[in-house]
Order: sequence, then structure tokens, then C-alpha cells
Amino acid sequence: MYRLFLAIRYLLTRPINLLGMFGIALSVWALVVVVSLFSGFIATVEEHVHSASADVSVSNLPAWAKWSKLRAALADEPNLSAMAPRLVHYGLIHHPGKRPAPPPLPGRTALHGGDQPFLFVLGIHAAEEAAATGFGGWITDPDIAPELRVKDPQNALAPQHGVPSVLLGVERMRAEGLRPGDTLVLTTGVLRTAPDGTKSPEQVQIPLVIAGAYKTKHGGFDGNNLFVDIGTLQQELLEGDTDAVHEIAIAVRDESQLDETADRIARIVHRAVDRGDQMARGTAQTWREKNLAFLQSVEHQRALLKIVLIVIMVTAAFLMLATLSMMVTEKTSDIGILTAMGGTPLGVTSVFLACGLTITAVGVLLGIGVGSLTAIYLEEVRQALLWAFGIDLFPLQVYNLDRVPCHIDPLWLVQVAGMAFGTGFVVSVLPALRAALYDPLISLRGT
Amino acid sequence: MTPPVLAASGITKNYRLGKQSIPVLRGVDLAVQQGEILALLGASGAGKSTLLHVLGLLDQPTTGEILFDGEPVQNLPVRERARLRHSHTGFVFQFYHLIPELTALQNVMLAGMMTKSVLQYWAIRKQARREATEILEQVGLADRLKHRPSELSGGERQRVAIARALLARPRVILADEPTGNLDSTTADGVVDLMFRIQKERNLAFVLVTHDEDLAQRADRIVRMKDGVVLSSAAVR
Repeated sequence: MYRLFLAIRYLLTRPINLLGMFGIALSVWALVVVVSLFSGFIATVEEHVHSASADVSVSNLPAWAKWSKLRAALADEPNLSAMAPRLVHYGLIHHPGKRPAPPPLPGRTALHGGDQPFLFVLGIHAAEEAAATGFGGWITDPDIAPELRVKDPQNALAPQHGVPSVLLGVERMRAEGLRPGDTLVLTTGVLRTAPDGTKSPEQVQIPLVIAGAYKTKHGGFDGNNLFVDIGTLQQELLEGDTDAVHEIAIAVRDESQLDETADRIARIVHRAVDRGDQMARGTAQTWREKNLAFLQSVEHQRALLKIVLIVIMVTAAFLMLATLSMMVTEKTSDIGILTAMGGTPLGVTSVFLACGLTITAVGVLLGIGVGSLTAIYLEEVRQALLWAFGIDLFPLQVYNLDRVPCHIDPLWLVQVAGMAFGTGFVVSVLPALRAALYDPLISLRGT
Repeated sequence: MTPPVLAASGITKNYRLGKQSIPVLRGVDLAVQQGEILALLGASGAGKSTLLHVLGLLDQPTTGEILFDGEPVQNLPVRERARLRHSHTGFVFQFYHLIPELTALQNVMLAGMMTKSVLQYWAIRKQARREATEILEQVGLADRLKHRPSELSGGERQRVAIARALLARPRVILADEPTGNLDSTTADGVVDLMFRIQKERNLAFVLVTHDEDLAQRADRIVRMKDGVVLSSAAVR
């Protein structure tokens, strides 16, 4: 009983112990809030990236790959629900008679790339694309203003008065003041083969008319890609080869089998494009693999922040170690009298251990409680800060979000509590052991 | 014949100082009977305090035996020796050693908590509080229960220390220069109090002092010098 009684009295009468408690609470709070924010952000980013991607993408196909042959080969894949061919090219878009705007200066580029004229050009078959990806939803997204919408979503890329149609990201259309029906020129280049077999680059300019805007949840995709009919690119760039394909977008039936399905599709593609040399040509990537670098960069930031915050926790633990050590030094006289009254070295140790563990427990509970509340009401906290001080800690438009994302992972809370308790235990044991090793007779003899 | 409540037989105690062994006690024999006041008298460095610590199981003798009611106890396990320190002996020190964060009442109650679990103490908490209050009233501190040590005089602090030593109803009180830090008037009051309680409770009392006048108030004086008992004689 005396251990608990003394531990509580020592803590209540020594406000300096609040410092260690506050340090632990603050570091736990930061670990809960920041990691919950990042977890929510990662989940949202994954959702956004997935929304703009096919479940599985076949790419890096050789020049001789033919859509008809690949479609026939892939038709036997049991988990495949739809597939669509794509031609992937690139080019500059500009208004007729005007030179393309220069790219922005380094460091001035918008996150989504929406303010630079160099774009990926995706040649698609609209109906097949709508079956294999979210294309149908991208052109009918309710966030697209009515005046920017595609008039006939069923024939989104149908030529208008003989001019091929193009679909642009909604933000680009807003930023450049473009409207459906406006004309653009796509300037690009191809390697042409001369009759003598030599290849040389040749500029190609394709006039296009805007059919409307599209919007995925992935701003980076919208800012860097435009859609045209696949036939247009086949005609203008591939000399009318209507069976050419660069990429295949695939939708699967069962997403839990995504990795295995991608592996099987890769093998099918390798066989379909094999020229007898057993070279594995073409890759099949899940949407996650295709965006791995981007997703990993966010994961990497979360991991780095975890390390920084854990270092803060260790610093708080050192603060606790300092205050507990100071307390042991000041309480050597008590160690002597406690021993004289019937205390054992272990019992005296546990008084100081109980002090440290109480500080840790209260700090952890405070940190997790307040941290969870902060994480749950993070959007309200952001709005309050914006209202009170005009400070926007998390500008939503930069990340294409409508509220601050947050995901509280109970396992992470357990891990944080475990880490904090482990650290608190270590820094409590050290001064407690010092107390146990102290000779009680020294204090009883002295003043 | 009833064995002495506390006895020491052939006690030696050496301290190591580097490679040197410094003898502090050199074969001390001592016996204290129930109800007896024994004064250990000697100059500084005679070994009085060391002997007191050995008798109270705070320190281990190098050789020799400590007997409680005739039973050797010096080789008992740590936990058992701690239990005996709590139940068999009470300590009073020159510098009081009260815990500054606790009130007078809490300092005394603490002695009752030493061997009890939280649940055990919770069951007797009201009785424990009543007993501690009664003892403090006996030592004349009824109006000082909620005062912290820093708010008490030296004599009052020593009275709290005495009350604390008595709470567990020990059979032996070991007092190490209990008046060494008090003025003569206060010291007389504290000694009167200690001896009154000793008589009331029929306690064995071992009093370490270098004050000849104080020693003369004991039943028996054991004179020590250089770790050896020079003489043991009844006062009256």
C-alpha cells in the first residue's frame, strides 16, 4: 500500500513531474493525429488513383502487338470482365494560329500539371473504355459544370463536322476558359520510315474540337491526359493501322484476386506477342503497381514522420528520466526511513517505478484521448483555425479533397500506447534501480 | 527463564575501504530485556550507531548472531528481515527522517501501510487512521495532525517520529541520538515522553547517546569504545 500511497503523494506534490507527463502526452498526441491524417490521406489518394486507373493495365507492348490477337488471347481469362485498347502518345495542345504557351518556370508548376501544355494523348474506344474503366462516370461527373459537359455521353468522342473530338480535364478547361466546340491543335511528332528504310522524325498537327470535360478524382491524371478517339491516332500516327495497340485497360470481376490475375494476364500477353525467342514482352500491372512510385512516396513520408515523432517521444522520455532521477536524488532520505520501517529494496524501487508508470499511463491516456478527438474533428479544427487566424493548415484544393482525410487505426493506437509504455518503463526502471542500489544507512547516518 | 527480547552475540562488523578492512565492531555481546532501558554510551566513532543498525537488522554483521526472543535472525531472507524490522522494532533517529510531502498524520499512518496490500489496507483504513490519531494525541500533537514537517518544530517532529515508531506496536525501540538535534528544554520533554511511553507499554529501549546525563536516566549503561563494550552496569 505504501508504494502506491507514496507514489501518488510524490507526484501530486511535485508539479515538475507534469513536464514528463505533458511530454509523453504531446508526443502520443502528435503520433495519433499525424499518422491518422496520413493514413486518411493515403487511403484517399489510393481511392483517387484507383478511380483514374484500370484494375490491370497491360503496357510496354512491342510495335507488332495486335489488338485482335491479344483480345482473343485474353478472352479466356476467367477473372476478366472487360478490356479496352489504348494508344498512348504525347503532344502539345494550343489554339489554332497560336504557339503553345511555354512551360512554367521550375518550381512554379501546379501540382496537377494542369498549367502546362505538354500532355499525354490517350487514344481510346469510348464504349470499350467505359466498360473497362470509370470513363463513363468521368464524363458525367456532377462536379462538371453543365456548360462544360459532353453533350452526348454515349458518343463522347464522335467527330464533329468531320473534326476529331477531344476530352480535356475539367480544371484545364476552367483555367484556360475553354468550352465545348472550341478548336485546338495537337502538335506532336512521329518517326516515319522512308522507302529506303531510314527513319526520320516528322511533325504532325491534328486539329481537334473539344467535346467536353472529364473529371476523375485524381487531379494529377486529369491535368496531364487528354482523350481522343483511337481511330484518330491510328489514322494520323500509325498510317491507318486499325489493329495497333499500346496499352490495354482491363477490369476484373474479383478484386481480391488482382495480383494473381495480373500475373496470369502477363503470361498470356507474353505468349501472344512472342516471336519464338522466348522474350517476355509487355507488362501487366495492377493499378497499385502502376502507381507504386507515387503511392510509395506518400507512404515514405508517413514513415519518415513516424520516425521524427518517435524521436520526439524519446526526447519526452529523457525529460521524464531527468525529473525522475532528480526525484530519486532528493528522496534518498526517504529511502532510508522506508527501509527502517520495514520496506525491502524491491518495495522502495517500486515506489519510484510506480511514479514513472503513473506519469506514463496518464500521459498515454491523455495523448490517445485528445489525439483521437483531434483526429476525428480535424476538419473542424482546420476550419476553426482558418476562421480565427486565417491559417489554412491543410489546403484542400491542392490535394483535390473536400475535407481533411483521417483514418484512426486501432492497431496503431495500440502500437503507440505500447511504444510509450515501453519507453516510459525503461526510463522509470533506471532511476528506480538507482534507488534500490542506494545504501539506506548513508541517509540514516547523515543529515 | 524468558530469553532477552533482543540480544547480540559475538558481533563483529568490518567495512571495506578499498583493499583495507576497517573493523568497527569487535565482538560485541549484548542483551536487552523486555521493559528495560539500555543506554549505549560512547564517543563518536565508538560503533554505537553501527551496533544499533545491526541490532535493528538494517545492517548485516560480519560475524556473530542477532537474536530476537532467543531466535537467530541475521540470516533470514531480506523480506523476512524487513517484516521483523516492521513488527519487532521501531526506530527513532536524530534527524527525524519524516517524509516532507506527508502530514504528521500521514507520516504515522505510513508505518501501518508498510506490510499491507492496497486491499488489506483499504479494509482497515478507518481503524488505521484512528490508531494513528490516538498515538499522535498521546505524544501531544492532537492539534498538529494535518501539519507538514516543515510546519512543525524540532521537538514536534521528533514526537511524530516517536509516534510513527510506535504505530506497529513494536517490542523494541531503537533510538539513535534522539535528542541530538534538540535544545535542552525540548530534549527533556522528548525524553520524558519516550520513557513514559516505554513504561506504559513495557518496551525494551535501546538509546544511543554520548550524553552522560541522558544515559543516567536509563536502567543500564553499556559503555563502548573503538567497537568494544567496555562495561555494562545498572544505573540504580
